[in-house]
Amino acid sequence: MPPAAGRSPALRVGRRFEPALRRIAASLLLLSALGARPARATLDDPASRVRTTTLANGMTVLTLVDSTTPVVSLQIWVKAGSRDETRYTGIAHLFEHMMFKGSTNLPPERHAQLLEARGGRVNAFTTNDVTAYFEDLPPDALPLALALEAERFANLDISEKTLASERQVVLEERRLRTEDDPQGRLLEQLFATTFIAHPYRWPVIGWRSDVEAVGVPQCRAFFDTYYAPNDLVMVIVGSFDEADALRRVQESFGKMKPAAEIPRNPTQEPAQRGERRAVVHFDVRAPVVAAAWHAPKAGDPDAPALEVLGEILSSGRSSRLYERLVYREQLALAAAGGYWDLASAGLFYAYVAVRPGVSPDAAERSLLAEVERLRREEVGADELAKAKKQIEVGIVSGLTTTHGLASRFAGETILYGRIRPLEERLAELEAVTAADVERVAKTHLAPEGRNVVRLQREGDASAGAAPPRGRKAP
Amino acid sequence: MIRTGRLPALLLLPAVLAGCSALGARPAWEQPPPKVQEGPVVPAERLHRTTLENGLEVLVLEDHRLPRLALGIVLRRGVASESVEQAGLASYTAELLQRGAGPRDAPAFARAVDDLGAGFDASADWDSISIGVAGLSRDEPALVDLLADAVLRPRFEPGEAARVRSEQQAGLEQAKDEPETLLSRAFARTLYPGQRYGLPSDGTPESVARFDAAAARAFHATYFVPSNAILYAVGDVSNEEFLEAARAAFGGWRGGAPPAAPPLAPTPTPEARRVVIVDRPDLGQSQIVVGHEGMRRSEPARHAALLLADVLGGGGFSSRLMERVRSEAGLTYSIGAGFAMRREGGPFSVATFTRVPETRRVIDLILAELERAKTEPPTPAELGEAKTRAAGGFVLGLETSQAIASALIALDVEGLPPDSLDVYRSRIVQITPEQVAAAAEARLHPERAAIVVVGPASVLVPELEGLGEIEVVKP
Repeated sequence: MPPAAGRSPALRVGRRFEPALRRIAASLLLLSALGARPARATLDDPASRVRTTTLANGMTVLTLVDSTTPVVSLQIWVKAGSRDETRYTGIAHLFEHMMFKGSTNLPPERHAQLLEARGGRVNAFTTNDVTAYFEDLPPDALPLALALEAERFANLDISEKTLASERQVVLEERRLRTEDDPQGRLLEQLFATTFIAHPYRWPVIGWRSDVEAVGVPQCRAFFDTYYAPNDLVMVIVGSFDEADALRRVQESFGKMKPAAEIPRNPTQEPAQRGERRAVVHFDVRAPVVAAAWHAPKAGDPDAPALEVLGEILSSGRSSRLYERLVYREQLALAAAGGYWDLASAGLFYAYVAVRPGVSPDAAERSLLAEVERLRREEVGADELAKAKKQIEVGIVSGLTTTHGLASRFAGETILYGRIRPLEERLAELEAVTAADVERVAKTHLAPEGRNVVRLQREGDASAGAAPPRGRKAP
Repeated sequence: MIRTGRLPALLLLPAVLAGCSALGARPAWEQPPPKVQEGPVVPAERLHRTTLENGLEVLVLEDHRLPRLALGIVLRRGVASESVEQAGLASYTAELLQRGAGPRDAPAFARAVDDLGAGFDASADWDSISIGVAGLSRDEPALVDLLADAVLRPRFEPGEAARVRSEQQAGLEQAKDEPETLLSRAFARTLYPGQRYGLPSDGTPESVARFDAAAARAFHATYFVPSNAILYAVGDVSNEEFLEAARAAFGGWRGGAPPAAPPLAPTPTPEARRVVIVDRPDLGQSQIVVGHEGMRRSEPARHAALLLADVLGGGGFSSRLMERVRSEAGLTYSIGAGFAMRREGGPFSVATFTRVPETRRVIDLILAELERAKTEPPTPAELGEAKTRAAGGFVLGLETSQAIASALIALDVEGLPPDSLDVYRSRIVQITPEQVAAAAEARLHPERAAIVVVGPASVLVPELEGLGEIEVVKP
């Protein structure tokens, strides 16, 4: 494959659908009944060593020194994402790009170039809930990175010229990830169908017409409104001098003025009354079928059981979706699903990449039947144990790099108001019973709350008559 | 981090020094970067290499910070060893390893992996085949067992062989839905007509149709031999204990030497540019690649070529192409250039994408920058930044022990000296502007590049007139 430079400000549309196999490809595991041996490394939670500093203006700074790694990760997370947009969708992400386009003392892109010249990885992403800027660096570059961050937060320059050019860059990104991409098209429609009121209904990258219309004053206003210090979480993890870094942060970010009030969109999604369906026409050989249900937001007491449910459905080659759709019935090339815990509303989704030449009707029937089965039959003890272990592995796999740790600390601080100790997460997980899994499936995955979206060629198959309603089953 | 042991820190000293330095009057970005550090990437006491009696090499990299362990076998032959008729057989065989092995059929094998919460992966690359399993160090015996079953005792059952064949064919078909895949396939076909490099690593519908259990079994018998393999263990593992387990599991593995890799035909060097358009009338964005033959991984000029490619189109915002095509003109989201380093010469390419009406403008900019790299080779300032970028990025790229082990194994596979990582940064620092200029002169050929575009042919054909002979193909 010809190389594609990947390190430009990136859009992250939350989690993208990925085949379950890919998700676990690099996984580790934790705990096992097999052959416990002495003298093995044990697990402790680095979160317990994180130092939290709150500046007088409300900015949160999390630091963790780890002198065993040759890297330091500096991240700044802003508690503003696409859900905070008003009038212009996509402005949170477009603005994220503008943060690289120069400041009073530095020309466009120089911020990134200076850190790249030290070997640093510099990038940013926007989700429905947050905007995050990160710099993974050789330790000696941290003072430079802190100076550069202070410079762009204090002296950002947004001009008509740079906005006009960067708008085109974002539109190319939109073409790449959404307009010419089957998966991107499907995801955009799935959110638009599932949410009719909540701001999650529009894509993070924004509708094209809005991106085309955003002007300098709107960008400026977005920055002034949401990039206040009391809306920021900075995190530094790795090899660095903590006292020196905190002093530098205090001297620069400490001067920022806090915002009295940070406005939020109040709209909540009304309860769904009946299945919704949509079809997207696209020139594909392999159709895609996806379904989504409304689920509780992040931090809900049902979250651990929903996580286990998602794992049983789609983690690994022994998962229910893979075993049935990919392996046994050979209807699909990939099938996956899971609980998607956003900050103010959640989703449970399932999708199938249909084999070329296979009817999407058949694939959809099997997909929905497997979801329905989870509502009717209690899962076995061995399947429950397997799912829990897979989740534990997923938790640990996020701890291997400074970047991963820093992301966890900042993300959880924003989502839950604190870093959740691993012990607590594992205990919640351990407490999930088969009855809990069945209960959350019954509660949240009802057919009348279902949103089904298909992507297929025009003229291919039917739009898909609704499959037999699961509720009729015993 | 979750770490119980302490490791000697790499490059920690400069961090402390920088931290102690006074905040000067000049802004941080006007101060010169520190000197590039040199040194071994891994302390000797953590890295162990042993050769078993049957010729199997064992590499153990101890890292006790997390209770995890990754194990695997890497074979020093890959897709490039296949004939054109066999294209895709290495991938096919690799996939079949976990479709029944030892005492377990395919579903039981999948279940055993998932019960451990482990990840299992078997795949073929141009120069190697990798089979790996990662899990908790406490489960070491079970992980070794799964790996040994897959590598030494695959069942190659006819039913599974038919199933995998059908999946591989469906995957080839589905990949046509991806514009970037269409691009890379057409580019390879154009550069290497009639050669193995010219076909997808997963093969073609015609070649895959011939695969069955017997073909996989024969491939396995030929290439899955201990003298062709490296066994590795990375993580919370003791070398002595692991060697004991490795001897028990792999000590009885027998087999002769694998056949020599078939020599690849030389890459054709055409007289003139040519244009291939893969017709996708529905796309609003053209996928573009411009390129030609490149270099082998072992060529002495590779360091100069890497720096050249970095200045031209390396990652991030720091390249001539990124500046010209994205930052100034807003014509793309991403653009990159590079040499694909393989044991035999992989391609050099520049790849990007843009809205269809701007396709010609972007191609002209790329060709102009390739020309300019020859007439105005990287300046000392550009080269200086490229060097510190490469040296710093090298450290970041080796943050985890698994990354270090992968890099060490790649050296072995490509036939490079084992100390290549330790001396990499000093090699980079020593490259002169003259060497980079020479690389530009010898290795860039915009005048006879292949230009491949995926997009609507009806718009693109008139747009691209004059660039070279145009061929339009269907996906």
